[in-house]
Amino acid sequence: MNSIEVEHLTKKFGDFIAVNDISFQVKEGEIFGFLGANGAGKTTAIKMMSGLLQPTSGTAMVAGYDVITQSKLIKRNIGYMSQRFSLYNDLTVFENMQLFGTIYKIPRRELKDRIMDSLARLDMTKQANLLVNSIPLGWKQKLAFATAILHKPKIVFLDEPTSGVDPIVRREFWNLIYETASTGVTILVTTHYMDEAEYCHRISIMADGVIRLLGTPEELKKQVGVNTINDVFVEYVKH
Amino acid sequence: MRTILILIKKEFLQVFRNPLLMSILIVAPMVQFMIFPFCADYEIKVLDIAFIDHDGSRITQDIIHSFDASDIFVSHGIIQNKKDAEKMIQHDKIDILVEFPNQFEEDLMNGEATRIAITANAINTTKAGIGVGYTQEIIGGYMQKFQEDNMFIASEEQIPARLNLSYIYWYNEQMNYKNLIVPGILVILVTLIGCYVTALNLVREKEIGTIEQVNVTPIRRWQFLIGKMIPFWILGMVEFIMGLFIMKLVFGITVQGSIPMLLGITAIYLLVMLGLGFFISSVSENQLQAMFIVLFLFIIFVLLSGLFTPTEGMPQWAHYTNYLNPMSFYMEVIKKVVLKGSAFVSVQTETIVLSVMAVIVNTGAILSYQEKSK
Repeated sequence: MNSIEVEHLTKKFGDFIAVNDISFQVKEGEIFGFLGANGAGKTTAIKMMSGLLQPTSGTAMVAGYDVITQSKLIKRNIGYMSQRFSLYNDLTVFENMQLFGTIYKIPRRELKDRIMDSLARLDMTKQANLLVNSIPLGWKQKLAFATAILHKPKIVFLDEPTSGVDPIVRREFWNLIYETASTGVTILVTTHYMDEAEYCHRISIMADGVIRLLGTPEELKKQVGVNTINDVFVEYVKH
Repeated sequence: MRTILILIKKEFLQVFRNPLLMSILIVAPMVQFMIFPFCADYEIKVLDIAFIDHDGSRITQDIIHSFDASDIFVSHGIIQNKKDAEKMIQHDKIDILVEFPNQFEEDLMNGEATRIAITANAINTTKAGIGVGYTQEIIGGYMQKFQEDNMFIASEEQIPARLNLSYIYWYNEQMNYKNLIVPGILVILVTLIGCYVTALNLVREKEIGTIEQVNVTPIRRWQFLIGKMIPFWILGMVEFIMGLFIMKLVFGITVQGSIPMLLGITAIYLLVMLGLGFFISSVSENQLQAMFIVLFLFIIFVLLSGLFTPTEGMPQWAHYTNYLNPMSFYMEVIKKVVLKGSAFVSVQTETIVLSVMAVIVNTGAILSYQEKSK
């Protein structure tokens, strides 16, 4: 079954076409990678799918709901992690999770257990009462991810979740992604780290608002005739 | 309900953890409140006066002495030379110069018209106006007495009309200035908390990006706005009550009317300002823009509200503009309830207008807040 079905999705800002007629499907439990240079339209596409941005034309069904008419229902079923860290710096780790957990209507008692479980998994139990301001970026990113999946969404959108963090945290982060996907959650992740692309089940390469290539990492390497996704990417950005 | 409660908690935590915001909210206004009324004060306490006496008679001596009895005037005595006197005015040594003509006493005794020249240093127009007023009052007072004492000489129609100086009491209004400016500052404070702080709040979340994380949740926009409004509404009320205490303790101004009624109307006024703040916040892109819009509106509100200048003297178009100015309605309420002790009947209109404004502004704020960008 498909979690995400995008058809002819387009977004124009004035004369500028940020996303130009893209279509693709993502299966349930799949880790789908969105690759592309800066300004390729990845974030715009994600914002349309998560109900933050009104599409100019085209349709998208997310978790079975229409992004144009049913964005409230979509929001209940997705988790979203913004490119820019967007939790509250002046609240503690626990307070942030409590705030968003409550907004998603997780029952009070269950919420506390879930937060503690989640922090234990991140190895951040000791940091629960620290202001987010005071923890390092890598931990902030893990926290943002944990907060995004606290309400057990069906689909998680991750917009460049690992940009700016060290290789160890990146590895840990991908472990979290795998763990989450293994429970049947669909993951749509954007990145410009090409080694990360290899971890995805399927990837799409975007340039100038258009999807240029789509397939499993193996397929794409074979199709272009190179050994790494990095080479695939470089090959396609040259055009 | 749980959603709104957690949002209120979040907002309070953020306010209390932000030292700058805390000082804006509590310390700065209170300090302003304690200092501003003492500086923004039109009351004149000292007027330097000098005299030129061409007559040198008993009456002119008496008049000059009567100025010594006044608390306000500091007499620099009689100046012999007019040039010297003018120089003193130029150098701000004296504010008022009184010149008695030749044969002043003689003319007066004969019931003939005579004139006293009063020259005022009008660099400070307020001071000059009040100074001339007081001078006329003292001379007029003396003349009154003189006239009564000398009834047998001067008959009614022979008294120069100039001596009838009842209009000078107009200036006495300025003596009560503090009673007007202090409640006025209270109005300014409530407005600032209501409008300024909230205008910056929402747009700040836009700037740092946290709003995106909120917008991606199924939260409803009215929930989000109410969760922001209630904390600042409470803070505004706390501020207002603190202001009432300071007003009483420092300035000795007691609220003449009903305090619960005053709090009720203030609560409505705060809703107008909070709504306006959020409206500005949601149409602005960044804090700078929001700040600019608030400042722009704030100055118009204050100048039109009748706090610094009486609204009676404004042109017709200003009166019409004032129908849109929530501050002028609230100012009326404060004047009436705090100073006059008016009952609800006399502030009914203002309360209704403010309530309607609150509904309109807040509806506008909710509608303008876009969770989905275009």
